[in-house]
Amino acid sequence: MIQLVFLGKFGDVAPAGLDEIALSALMEAGVRTLGDLQHWLAGREPLLGRAMAATRTRLIVNHCVAHDLSQALADGDEIAFLPPMSGG
Amino acid sequence: MGVRLIQKTFDPQAEVAAFAEGREDAGALVTFVGSCRARTGDVAVAELRIDHYPGFTEKEIARLAAETAARFDCPDILVVHRVGAIRPGEAIVLVAALSVHRANAFKAVESLMDYLKTDAPLWKKESGPQGARWIEPRAEDHARRAKADERLR
Repeated sequence: MIQLVFLGKFGDVAPAGLDEIALSALMEAGVRTLGDLQHWLAGREPLLGRAMAATRTRLIVNHCVAHDLSQALADGDEIAFLPPMSGG
Repeated sequence: MGVRLIQKTFDPQAEVAAFAEGREDAGALVTFVGSCRARTGDVAVAELRIDHYPGFTEKEIARLAAETAARFDCPDILVVHRVGAIRPGEAIVLVAALSVHRANAFKAVESLMDYLKTDAPLWKKESGPQGARWIEPRAEDHARRAKADERLR
């Protein structure tokens, strides 16, 4: 399984039930990399896709910043989508 | 190095007193407390909600605090940050730095606050009578962070 986490404004537009997806289902849909996953999500969830396209989106894989969208998905990955941060 | 995210109101003075207790190695203690405003410009704020990413947020703030402590030679730094629902008047963030002399503690607190504004994995949503909106870093926040980067070089 792949765990998905949507933070901040992305959490407002991500539908319930999108927190876990079987890797096999993604593979069948041709989704193999982080970039594929982002593209697939945007096609499936237009509101989320628009929110991510409208701002700088950072991907975090297993609590480490992902610098390369060609990174392959692996079973058990936790992938978080982060909009611009606003701490302090 | 202490980093804590907390869901409930906290007493910054009590946190600072506990942090500085017995630190005879430090001649300087500088603190900053940021609180929730009742207004942002013309917009009334009834509640601020701060989202975080459990595990990752703590780790990233600890990394920023450790880098700041190393850069400014601070024997210890404390960050306490609220998450969840916050009311106007309540403290949101406390940053405290110890150093041998005052200059480094002042610089450390200012620099770390500049980084927290743009680099801490936290997301603020203001809500009030005029609706709700997510806050993103302002141009001024990015400019201050760029200056903080320059100071680190």
